[in-house]
Amino acid sequence: MKTIYLIVLGVVICVQLAVPFRMIRGRERILADGQLYRFKTQPIDPVDPFQGRYVRLRFEADTIACNADRMVELQRKQPIYAVLATDGQGFAYFSDWSNERPADGDFLKVRYQYADQDWIKESKSYVTNGIRIDLPFDRYYMDETKAPRAETLARDATRNSNCWANVRILNGKALIEDVFAEGIPLRELAAKNEE
Amino acid sequence: MRKVSARNLQWLEKELPILEREGILAADAVRGIRSYYRENTGGGLHWATLAFAVLGSLLIGAGIILLFAHNWDELDRPTRAVLSFCPVAIGAILSVLALVRHGGVARRESAGIFHSLAVGSSIALIGQTYHIPGNVPGFLLSWSLLILPLAFLLGSTGAFLIYLGLICGWSGVAQDHYGQAAAFWLLLAPALVKVWAMVRVDRNAPDTLLSVYGILFTLAISTGIVFERTVPGLWIVAYSALLSAAALLGLNLYRDREGWSNPPKTFGIIGIALLAYLFTWSDMWRDIGWQWTRNGWHYRTWGTWADATIALALLAGWIAAAIQSFRRNSIETITLAAFPAIATLCFFIGAASGDQSNGINAVIFNAFLLFYGVLYIVLGCRNTKLRQLNGGMAILSLLLVTRFFDDDFGFLARGIVFIALGACFLTVNLIMARRKKTLEAAS
Repeated sequence: MKTIYLIVLGVVICVQLAVPFRMIRGRERILADGQLYRFKTQPIDPVDPFQGRYVRLRFEADTIACNADRMVELQRKQPIYAVLATDGQGFAYFSDWSNERPADGDFLKVRYQYADQDWIKESKSYVTNGIRIDLPFDRYYMDETKAPRAETLARDATRNSNCWANVRILNGKALIEDVFAEGIPLRELAAKNEE
Repeated sequence: MRKVSARNLQWLEKELPILEREGILAADAVRGIRSYYRENTGGGLHWATLAFAVLGSLLIGAGIILLFAHNWDELDRPTRAVLSFCPVAIGAILSVLALVRHGGVARRESAGIFHSLAVGSSIALIGQTYHIPGNVPGFLLSWSLLILPLAFLLGSTGAFLIYLGLICGWSGVAQDHYGQAAAFWLLLAPALVKVWAMVRVDRNAPDTLLSVYGILFTLAISTGIVFERTVPGLWIVAYSALLSAAALLGLNLYRDREGWSNPPKTFGIIGIALLAYLFTWSDMWRDIGWQWTRNGWHYRTWGTWADATIALALLAGWIAAAIQSFRRNSIETITLAAFPAIATLCFFIGAASGDQSNGINAVIFNAFLLFYGVLYIVLGCRNTKLRQLNGGMAILSLLLVTRFFDDDFGFLARGIVFIALGACFLTVNLIMARRKKTLEAAS
């Protein structure tokens, strides 16, 4: 009986080790082979009891322009594929979306949030600008002493539209590589300010 | 079952053959003593040893999570990746040692708790290293599924309670994140199997009692969370059935045991008192039933069926427990069993008559709670059980104080009811005093 228990425990331990291994391997692949994009961002600084202090990133590029007719069948939190493009300044934005996985080009699997609409006073009606999406990356974890300082520095930088995140994208999955404020990585900036 | 420490039992096992050899004890007597101690004594592990072992592993596990959460800038990515395996590896070694060396309760519990927390800290550290967004439901689900086997393999109650806490937390965040958490019932199924197996082996063992409490709390919290709430008020039926079934199950399983040593009954009785108190407010009966079925993007079309299925399953459990309990035929059993019947009836009356019956339903439950409080005062006096007496007094005091200040009922109505009740109590007191005097005179 004890042998069976030990064998089952061995299998369980293998699975417990395989899960972190698979997580690490997947992320390392994105960092190694993923296409690099820069996303303009605004950081705020909350805490996670398990993973520590992080800088929450609010991205400017969280909407996709499209007609109201196309979003009729979209349900809230429905997964869709957002097609990536780069503007004249080298920052990423989403040019289009589809329900099907695009055959080529860079794309990101995101979730539909709601229609992005503006109220027009004159015509007393809403005008649809596009769709608001939920991006699958919004946290940048930092040393607990540096994160609050980084947030202040990044907020100052944001006022000058000078804060962005380097994001690696591969096969619809994304990973934040680094966050920059005033052209300097946030970690370095926070460390420099400490001195 | 008497508590005798393992060391003393080992000493006895060594002494018996010697006494038999010396001719002091006959072979039959030796066999009798041996079988007596095997059947009638349990491990006398001192509770403090167990408590310190559990607390120690809990604190170390939580401390490791906090140390990793500090997020050391000095550690580069590959180092963190390697480090994230360490807690699981240490936990695995402890678990294997506990199993190989026939570890006692303290060793199995501390290994189970540490290993369970280590799995969570490993996943959290990877999330931190790679800036993985806060998918809390995914995190809790992975964590709970990875530690579930530990509760079975190590027999660790601590790991089992951590699992229950995780699935309870998962039901809350999944309901918020995905809009539904029906998979909670699948996650609960193995936990129910484990508790049932523990009850069959030794229902009075402390770890069984703790696990029963754990599963009851998980059920009470998560049933409300996973309810789709498409049919307002259906929770009244579900919760009343759940609490009554628990109380009746306690009467069946643990018979006359009370308090801490009868978890389902204690849980059910307290739960029924709280729920009945909520039902004494007429607002609780407003806008309930199928005519108020909710629609919209955040309500599922299958929600009505899911909620009805949960309510029916709990009602079935209540009926089964009630049939078993009616053999006892006591006023307490009938009262506990009647609670869901009254609540379900009131739900249907409320659903059929719109808001016209809200007041009547509230009055019915005021009467029920009054009876419930008096019942436990009488039972407490009759059985000379202070816990029951105090419980009944607490219920009655809560009801009377609330109703005294309740604006929903007019001053005149409240005044008449209070005076009538007071007169009833005084009359009963007078009758009881006279009867006692007569009995004393006769004896």
